[in-house]
Amino acid sequence: MTYLFIILYAVTLIYFALSERVKKFVWLLSIQGFMLFGVVFFSLQTIELFDFVFILVETILVKSLIVPLFLNKVRKHNHLKREHEPSVPVFYSIIVVVITLILSFIISNNLHSTQIHTKYFTVAFASIMFGIYFIIIHKNIFSHVVGYLIIENGIFLLSLAVGNIMPMMVNLAILLDVLMGVLVLGVFINHIGDTFKSIEIDQLSKLKD
Amino acid sequence: MIFIFIIIAFILSFFVFVSKNKIVTTISLSIFSISLLILTAYSYQHINQTDSLYYKFDAIGILMTGILSILTIASFYHSFLFLKRKNNSEKQKAMYFASLIMFITAMLSAYFTENMALLWVSIEATSLFVSILIFHSRDKNAMEATWKYLFISSVGLAIAFIGILFLSIVASENGVSDLNYSSLLEIAQNMNPIWVKISFILILTGFSVKMSIFPLYAVAIDAKTMAASPVNALMSTALVNVGFIGIFRIFTIIAKTSAFVWAQHILMIVGVVSILITAIQLTRVKRLKRLLAFSSMEHMGLVVIGLAVGGIGFYAAILHLIFHSLIKAGLFYQLGYIRHHFKSIWIKETGKYFKIDPLGALMMILGILSILAIPPSGLFISEFLIFKALFINANYFVAIFVLFLLSVIIYTIAKRTFHLLYAEISDDLLVENIKPNPYETISQFVLFGLVIYLGIDSPLFFSDLINAAITVLN
Amino acid sequence: MISFLLILVSAIFFVGVITKVKAKIAARKMPSVLQPVYDVIRLFKKGAIYSPVSSVIFKMAPIIYFSSILLATFFIPIGSQKAILSFEGDFVFFAYLLAMGKFMMIIAAMDTGSGFEGMGANREALYSMLVEPAFFILAGSVALFTNNISFHDLFLHLNLGTNLSYIIGIAAIYVLVYIAMVENSRMPVDDPKTHLELTMVHEVMVLDNSGFDLALIHIGTWLKFAIYGSLISNFIIHSVWTWYWQIITFFAIQFVFAITVGILEAFRARNKMEKNPQWIIMLSAISVVVFLTALIITQKIILN
Repeated sequence: MTYLFIILYAVTLIYFALSERVKKFVWLLSIQGFMLFGVVFFSLQTIELFDFVFILVETILVKSLIVPLFLNKVRKHNHLKREHEPSVPVFYSIIVVVITLILSFIISNNLHSTQIHTKYFTVAFASIMFGIYFIIIHKNIFSHVVGYLIIENGIFLLSLAVGNIMPMMVNLAILLDVLMGVLVLGVFINHIGDTFKSIEIDQLSKLKD
Repeated sequence: MIFIFIIIAFILSFFVFVSKNKIVTTISLSIFSISLLILTAYSYQHINQTDSLYYKFDAIGILMTGILSILTIASFYHSFLFLKRKNNSEKQKAMYFASLIMFITAMLSAYFTENMALLWVSIEATSLFVSILIFHSRDKNAMEATWKYLFISSVGLAIAFIGILFLSIVASENGVSDLNYSSLLEIAQNMNPIWVKISFILILTGFSVKMSIFPLYAVAIDAKTMAASPVNALMSTALVNVGFIGIFRIFTIIAKTSAFVWAQHILMIVGVVSILITAIQLTRVKRLKRLLAFSSMEHMGLVVIGLAVGGIGFYAAILHLIFHSLIKAGLFYQLGYIRHHFKSIWIKETGKYFKIDPLGALMMILGILSILAIPPSGLFISEFLIFKALFINANYFVAIFVLFLLSVIIYTIAKRTFHLLYAEISDDLLVENIKPNPYETISQFVLFGLVIYLGIDSPLFFSDLINAAITVLN
Repeated sequence: MISFLLILVSAIFFVGVITKVKAKIAARKMPSVLQPVYDVIRLFKKGAIYSPVSSVIFKMAPIIYFSSILLATFFIPIGSQKAILSFEGDFVFFAYLLAMGKFMMIIAAMDTGSGFEGMGANREALYSMLVEPAFFILAGSVALFTNNISFHDLFLHLNLGTNLSYIIGIAAIYVLVYIAMVENSRMPVDDPKTHLELTMVHEVMVLDNSGFDLALIHIGTWLKFAIYGSLISNFIIHSVWTWYWQIITFFAIQFVFAITVGILEAFRARNKMEKNPQWIIMLSAISVVVFLTALIITQKIILN
């Protein structure tokens, strides 16, 4: 059953490459939160109850509800409708996503480690790579925050891959990262949107020499 | 003890933030500085003991905290003068001081902590608080600098977190289930080199945003161009030391495995490329603060080269770090006061500083000579030791190339500084009616004098501490 | 033989059901289900007009197109009913038969010398090229999953039992529905109801055909829909059921497929022309994910 959610997570990555509307980004982030919930629910049966409940609450509440709601508010505040054309056409982004997925599957096939659960490692690695690619091709700081959240989802899966050894500390760290990142960055985007009247990063290059 | 300190800091910061009263602020800040000094002395008494479950008073932490306590007092003093000059409201002052207290506490936690995950959390906290401080002036440039710093810092720390996850993989392969530094050191010989290499590269990349070395140096430079001078003094020194501690921990772990030589090569490349980028970019710099920010990058490149070369290079690297912190802080305090005299931030619109404020200009010259590692500055001694180690190790090409780059950097910085000090400019670029304030230069006397003293005739406990800090590397 | 007859029967009613569904949703008056058949009979009674600048290719192409599709129909089994022709690797032959028919239509369109038809041929060629990997990777992953490489054996041994194989089934049906829409030039790639030649893809390619040729092209469209419908139904019909259940399920699935196509056509707008390539390549991306799933199930990739 975990495989089902992992494959669906990979499909959401493809849809991220395909979509251009900002609303769809936020919606896809919420769906990714649900997929992570499914993955956790069906796999982590062996750790103690409190940690288990904590991780479940974190994925459903924070990743699927709070963060997308907050991002929606920021989106409405700045009147973002559609992403301006990304610097790499969508056609090639989809090809890049597919190549990244194939590469991560090949790498995890060749990893012979007893400590990593390679079934999570595949999409975790692909998610991190794709998040970095996403930040590079989009020129709009809202999309940068979305890319950052994709990287965070990948790190969450990677911490599942590492095992159930120290779940509490790791999850606390990720939760802190996500909350601090999104809340602070979101508030900041509102400030920047108000001051600069746009959120393209071309406006943010006065500090160069 | 550290937990008590952190709780006291929380309470003090909360008081300062809530009551926007000047007397409360002054009392809280004094209590904070005195507690920090007490903590430093306590840690020296109880060297190498664990404390509060996740912290340990090891030698390198004590050295860094000592510098932090000296700079805290100086920064508070200069913050008062700075905020008085800017005529900020009480509310803004309260926010500034509250975040400054939390920032220093977070850095302290990063110095002393023994657990890699808690180290990561402390560094994340420093990111947050320093962003509030960079954003203090709330204009467009500050907004841009804060956004870039916050975002790339978060991404960099996410990358460092992946590195820590890989470290935990290799730790659990050998049966260690917590990320405590001492337990990792014990099992370091048995670690699979591949995982440690990947972890090292990721942590180096992630913490390079704090230490302002290649590859993620750009946002730190931008942030230092925009922040207020007392904050800049702490950012360029204590925060850079935090980045160094992060990299140092993983470096000592990898020192016990078979991948040590490879790690030293990587660090050598990083150091040389940092200095190369500095030399190239400095020719285009036209703002004073940016000049000093790039100079930080160059010195960190030298520290990394010192780590990479080994032998006496280890001792020289830590010595270089300490001296650089003291001198750079003094320079930034002076620079804050210089900025007050001129209307614009561009170097070509400043000049005649020697005529305006001779004492301050004298301090500026002394500071710039010290940062350029000209004797009797302590930096001369540490750079001399680094190059000696390079020549002993037969890295001739690296040494000659870096010496050439350093001479380019010396030329550029000196040229810009002498423009500031001696150039003839029209009087309408100066702010009128500013009397030079002699109290601004007290701190620099102390700091520069300390560096010269420590360089020439360092006391025994100082060199013992440095030697204790690098024993893990042998 | 039975499977061929079943496909013919469902082909006759298919387009009529689609039109009826669209009319019902739009609250228009519905034509009869057999209306397309009446149209084709009317076209058979007419003569064809050929432009003097076109050559023998233009006269030849619709016949080759129709016969290739008819030949492709011979390869499809339904459940446990055997196809007329079957050999190892016949799904590749099947795909290239359809491609050959499309190739003849494309060069016939370019043969007329009309600018519109050339543009339509251009677009048609691009979209077929982009959707080809989707079909092959999908068929390849199903073949990998069942370890057989002819259509008949493939579907005979396809049993979707475990959870993960349901993904393959569902994803394959989803991709096949959209491949059918792209191959038949329907929404969201091409709007069959548009009257503006600049926005057409397939309709403008057959603009100059008339009479007998146009009738053949229409019948070809029905057959292609029925082919894809029977491919989809094969994923659902288990070969262990009794024969009447299989036939009933087959017709039911064709009916549901036609309704789905009608609903998709009624509610979606056509993509912007620049968006079409990226939408189509998304289908190939999803089929790559299906392929990876098949690799996981058959344990060619070891994951713990």
